[in-house]
Amino acid sequence: MLQILFDALSLGSLYALGALGIALIFGVMRLVNFAHGDVIAFCVFALLWPSTDAMAIVFAGQLPWYLLVPFVLLCGAGLSVLCEIIVFRRFRQANPATMMIASFALGFVIRYFLLMLFSSRPKSISLLPELSQPVEILGARLPLLQLITIVTTMVILIGLTLFLRQTRFGLEMRAAAENFSMARMLGVRANRVIMGAFALSGALAAAIALIFGIQTGTLDIQMGASIMLMAFIATVIGGLGSLGGAVLAGFLLGAASVIMQVMLPIDARPFRDAFVYGAVILVLLFRPQGLIAARGTKERV
Amino acid sequence: MTYKMRIVATALASISIAYPALADDKTIVIGFATAESGFMEAYDKPAQEAAMIRIGEINAAGGLLGKQIEVVKADTKSDRAEGAKAGLSVLDQGADLVVVSCDYDFGSPAALAAEDAGNISFFLCAESVKAGIQGVGPRSFSASVLAAVQGATMAEWAFKEKGAKDFYRLLDTWTAYNKGICDGFDWMMPKLETQGAKLVGEDTFKNEDASIAAQITRIKSLPKEPDAIMLCTMMPGAVSAIKQLRAAGINSMILNGSGVDGSYWLSAVPDLTNFYVPVQGSIYGDDPNPAVLKFNATYKEKTGADPSSQYVFPGYVMVDLWAKAVERAGTTNADEVVAELEKMKDEPTLFGPRTFTPELHHQNQTRYLIVETKAGKPGVVGNWTISEPVPMEALLK
Repeated sequence: MLQILFDALSLGSLYALGALGIALIFGVMRLVNFAHGDVIAFCVFALLWPSTDAMAIVFAGQLPWYLLVPFVLLCGAGLSVLCEIIVFRRFRQANPATMMIASFALGFVIRYFLLMLFSSRPKSISLLPELSQPVEILGARLPLLQLITIVTTMVILIGLTLFLRQTRFGLEMRAAAENFSMARMLGVRANRVIMGAFALSGALAAAIALIFGIQTGTLDIQMGASIMLMAFIATVIGGLGSLGGAVLAGFLLGAASVIMQVMLPIDARPFRDAFVYGAVILVLLFRPQGLIAARGTKERV
Repeated sequence: MTYKMRIVATALASISIAYPALADDKTIVIGFATAESGFMEAYDKPAQEAAMIRIGEINAAGGLLGKQIEVVKADTKSDRAEGAKAGLSVLDQGADLVVVSCDYDFGSPAALAAEDAGNISFFLCAESVKAGIQGVGPRSFSASVLAAVQGATMAEWAFKEKGAKDFYRLLDTWTAYNKGICDGFDWMMPKLETQGAKLVGEDTFKNEDASIAAQITRIKSLPKEPDAIMLCTMMPGAVSAIKQLRAAGINSMILNGSGVDGSYWLSAVPDLTNFYVPVQGSIYGDDPNPAVLKFNATYKEKTGADPSSQYVFPGYVMVDLWAKAVERAGTTNADEVVAELEKMKDEPTLFGPRTFTPELHHQNQTRYLIVETKAGKPGVVGNWTISEPVPMEALLK
């Protein structure tokens, strides 16, 4: 039972982090960033030296963990900010659908850039192998990484909450999320806030990339896609633009997925995701605005 | 107007002069409608290189029917619609044999184009029964071995040679290849159960699953750790699954299909042990057949790298078998070559015997080498041929 709880929490953590990254950007500029998944893939590949050989040439991945973690986070934040400066800044006035298409296109560019440098063959890497040891907690035996994932996610969530509530930058970001033009009129610098949101979102993508890389040991140019899909669904159920909702929904999705895997009979298990998505539809039927609707997205009369 | 007409006429004339030059009778043409770019390239290219090595050997020995083999290519760009065009393109260039992508889904458009034109097509390394008569037509073949044979081989070998009794079946529902491995396992299991083996549980996952923690919990809650886990999956999810199984402290034998052969990913699971893969030939320098070692050396010389997995070998087998059939038929006429190919029974190749019949243009029983990975080092530990061929109803399940 406890084991299932841990399984659900660790999978939910991944989805929650992903959903948060998407919700942050949606909050400040009404953009559903579909390139987010490819930023995740990029961050993992940043650990390797570009080569199309089957054998991965590990480069930055050999750094000790206290350098490795900041390096990957910086990569994610850097790429994300770069995307903002080069692409999304030009779409600031465009309608959300246009921006969404642009984000799809950007995702393809990043993915094919990786394909060019690394080929489509999945690569393997042993990242921080000491984290793959099993540990025993209250009778549940789980890989150390699972525990670290859960703890890290909690720390990130608490840190982010403090950042948004306690700092001036956080205040500006929340104000921008609620009513962007009003915030600008009151002296919030748009570029700074948006770039900040992109940097945070990129760093979150990098955090997922790290956990993913350590857990699976596999790098694949399409690896961001499935997490991106789940994270996007989580942001929708959570209520688009609502950070708390995104996190909550991420955990719920993770839990639903694990519980379905445990409960369903063997013949129905291959269709696990269909059941999960069915539950998503049910939630949206009853709460079309999401679990926790963001204040900024409500229609005003 | 007449001026323009003259240009068009000249253009047409130059095309019609150029065209017969391609379909020259002094050469035999092998057309590769495979991926030279995009996702499938990494899978098609190694087998294609091996095919080129065999073509080079045949040409050096005087050619086929006294003619040199010429190679023409068209890029499928890893796209199914482009695949059909690539197939037509190599046919237009006079291909006597159309070689198509490794995978059934990616290769079938070009194979169907060849079938429609009455030509022979060969899948480079597809392992679905559809890659052949069942999914393309009576002139289509695959150079590899059915996925089901891999699952059946591993189950029987583990039971007979390693004394494994309790089996667990873990299927990744992503591709038909994965399902094929487990289909072979499912067909073999009842036979082993009459001799004392037992299927103690089964579960599924998806290749892209970020975590298979729930599946692992199910294995851990068994009263006793199973002797062997039949893992029906492929890259990239395979590495993730294996890593998570071992990280959770499950030390059972892990049995796999050939898709996980290769040492390129072993760095992800340091000191992996008790891990078994069936292969057509060994890339680890310990193949019992010296001719395979020689081939590996040639491959390294030509491409600058060792073969990365056993999926290099079918390319060589393909040209070898087709050339033999052409030699025996005395012509490249598709129907006569097909008839010769279908007469092959346990035809020796560097990578085990090959058989084609009018019902099946694929291998449903053949010798596999078994590679064991011990403390992170893979090496051949034996070979196994399943006791009877996998029947059609198990393949079409």
